[in-house]
Amino acid sequence: MSDLSIPFERHRLGNGLRIILSHDSSVPVVAVNLWYGVGSRNEPQGRTGFAHLFEHMMFQGSAHVPKNRHFELVERAGGTLNATTWFDRTNYFESLPSNQLELALWLESDRMGWMLPAMDQEKLDNQRDVVKNEKRQRYDNQPYGDWDERLQALVFPEAHPYHHTVIGSMEDLDAATLDDVEAFFRTYYVPNNAVLTVAGDFERSRTLDAIDAYFGEIPAGRPIPPVPGDPTLPPRIGETVRDRVVADVPLPRVILASRIPPYSSPEFAVAEVARGVLGTGRASRLYRRLVRERKVAKDVVSYAFPLLTGASMLLVWATGYEDTRAEDLERAVALELEGLSDAEDAEIARAIAVTETDLVRSLERVGERADLLSMFELYFDDPGRLNRELDRLRAVTSGDVRRFAAERLGPDNRAVLTYVPEAQR
Amino acid sequence: MSDMDRNRVPEAGPLRSFEFPDIDRRRLENGLEVRVARTARLPIVSASLFVRAGESSLKHEKAGLSVLSGDALEGGSRRRSGTELAESLEGIGARLDVSTGWEGTSVSVSCLAERLAEAMAILAETLLEPEFPEGEVVRARSQALASIRQRSMDPASLASDAAVRRYFSAGVPFARPLEGTQETVEPLGRNHVRGYAEAFYRPVEGGLVVVGDVHTDEIEALVASCFQGWEGEPPVQGDFGVEPRTRERTLLVVDRPGSVQSEVRVGHVGPERSHPDVFPLTVLNTLLGGAFTSRLNLNLRERHGFTYGVRSRFALRRRPGFFQVGTAVGTEVTAPAVKEILGELEGLVEGGPTEAEVEAARDYIAGVFPLRLETAGQVASRIAELLIYGLPDDYHATYRDRIRAVTVEDAAEAGGRHIRPSEAQVVVVGDAQAIRVPLEALGVGPVEVIPA
Repeated sequence: MSDLSIPFERHRLGNGLRIILSHDSSVPVVAVNLWYGVGSRNEPQGRTGFAHLFEHMMFQGSAHVPKNRHFELVERAGGTLNATTWFDRTNYFESLPSNQLELALWLESDRMGWMLPAMDQEKLDNQRDVVKNEKRQRYDNQPYGDWDERLQALVFPEAHPYHHTVIGSMEDLDAATLDDVEAFFRTYYVPNNAVLTVAGDFERSRTLDAIDAYFGEIPAGRPIPPVPGDPTLPPRIGETVRDRVVADVPLPRVILASRIPPYSSPEFAVAEVARGVLGTGRASRLYRRLVRERKVAKDVVSYAFPLLTGASMLLVWATGYEDTRAEDLERAVALELEGLSDAEDAEIARAIAVTETDLVRSLERVGERADLLSMFELYFDDPGRLNRELDRLRAVTSGDVRRFAAERLGPDNRAVLTYVPEAQR
Repeated sequence: MSDMDRNRVPEAGPLRSFEFPDIDRRRLENGLEVRVARTARLPIVSASLFVRAGESSLKHEKAGLSVLSGDALEGGSRRRSGTELAESLEGIGARLDVSTGWEGTSVSVSCLAERLAEAMAILAETLLEPEFPEGEVVRARSQALASIRQRSMDPASLASDAAVRRYFSAGVPFARPLEGTQETVEPLGRNHVRGYAEAFYRPVEGGLVVVGDVHTDEIEALVASCFQGWEGEPPVQGDFGVEPRTRERTLLVVDRPGSVQSEVRVGHVGPERSHPDVFPLTVLNTLLGGAFTSRLNLNLRERHGFTYGVRSRFALRRRPGFFQVGTAVGTEVTAPAVKEILGELEGLVEGGPTEAEVEAARDYIAGVFPLRLETAGQVASRIAELLIYGLPDDYHATYRDRIRAVTVEDAAEAGGRHIRPSEAQVVVVGDAQAIRVPLEALGVGPVEVIPA
């Protein structure tokens, strides 16, 4: 058992930008990581997919950085960079040789403060095409590619911000305008809605001075408006809801999902451990019973999504063989979900042990450290939670898991999405 | 910071040097090469055991046997069932991974340093004493066949599999998918797997790499006890010839009706891993299609919006692999995208790269080097490459110097030798009804259409 002690310190600029520094000079690299408190949940009606399209626009230059220069400068400096958009947040990140830290601070501050002067219709049209191709490549042209759209619609009511997907719809992407870019930027891309983390090899006082110089003059924005729609919802779905799709897919697949408490709830730790007992490793219940012993599934995957808004989702995804009946697969998964009501200490300890190694391994990278620190600061105002993550899980008892299974994983709180190959219909 | 000017790109500070970790070498009496490197950022260890049991040594009719044997390893040992092994391993928080490639099979564990002795013992038990119970081999085969079925309906896999069939002449192992085909995997059973493991999972030509918060003497003692009694060498694996299927430029459409995108591959046979041109080609490929700001991506994505992304690469193996451009583009822009790709290849070969491009590519490759060596697992993979490909010990230590020494002439000449647009095989997986006519109109060569 290892006790984590990732060092960090917190600061806040006058404009509300939260700063985390985490020093480690074992490799001369540094990570710059920004989390903005905006994601697909903030999209108004008719603009699904916009938060992600906006993320692409953030790479199209800013007042002092021409198009393509952002990527060119970071790559030339020997760095890597990217960004991702999710339900509750959008993150931007660079990892670079440590002597190039200032470059990343300059680039990130320029687009936080001076993005709009560089925007034009041609760039928007170009990135709209890029994003539509991203949607085609990752969803529309893939077997099972519409699974998240269908599943989110089953688990979250129409007025809830998680009812629609992060990638959004083609119609809404087509409808996006430069005015939308400006409004979104002014509303959400403000220092008081962001966390900046610098992790790795850097010199403390120089870095603080540089952050102040680059970001300090960006004016604070207004308070962030509430999430549109209605984020409140009952803790359980109330019944088993279904969507059965006969499609051109190679193998039958079932996805079972339950509504669970949000990431901010203390009960989320129980959900994580329950998920681990079900699906972490080859000694886990789903692998052992469905894949190894009963051979009804070719593979099984499970997640407890760390979502913040009203509720989250635990899901299990099982792919059968060509001759597996989807009904049998569903019954087998349901049996394991409900069967967690006899969870034992040894399997809980195993799930936590593997999670521990995975977490320590991920912290070998400064980029990952920075990302987690940003998340804990933005979500919980508590970056120190990183060092207590394992304690949170270790406090979970078999009684907690049993109770969780009984209350949350039964047929009264279940969405079932089934894909049946056309050949089997 | 009072002199800060937003119009000026900040200057880099003094570069802190980074050295590839020192590698300690040992050789056990059974012939197993042991390599240890110490990294102590966190108390984590990555250990990887490589044996010369790869798909490239298999005859066509046994294709998939290495992969299947590797997959079936988790079925249990002579002493314990697969579930019991998994429980022991996961009880100490360790993960075990078997990966099989063209050159060999690697069994790796990752664990906290204090658990290494237990994890290493389980690794050794898994590889040296496999039981291969009938039911577990049958399951691994069912899974392999199901995966082959999934590949047959996944557009990206369809394109990659069709492309290598076009690049290599039929007898070359690389012309087939790594995991074999339905016809070759279906007849494989427990006896094949047992026989294969018995013959090929041998210490000679193999290696063990351990990286993390460890000391070499302790590792040597641990390894000597875990691998005691393991002996022998795998069958001699002769070189095979690698010939292209054709030198004529051709275009293949794999018809997948209703596709909203086309998966595109453009490529041909390339050099082997140890070829002296690999350094200039690494630089050249970076500026062609190996980075975000490469020629292909700036053209197809940032200028035309045809795609979410496009990349090029050299697949480098002990025997000659391939060069390939890969992307997925909108159905209606398929022909223009193919035209742009071929145009970029021709432009690069005829005009060569610019001084500025070569400089930027060298800086990028040398600069990201330490970023790819942050974790014990990453360092272990790099060290394993030395054993797998027979590279010199100082390969990584001198890597950045050799990249920095590449001149614009070196890159241009290597490109002329190894990128041959007139011999390119173009493969497109998409809706033939929509794309066939525009593709034929490009006039790149004979067009063939086959069903997916």
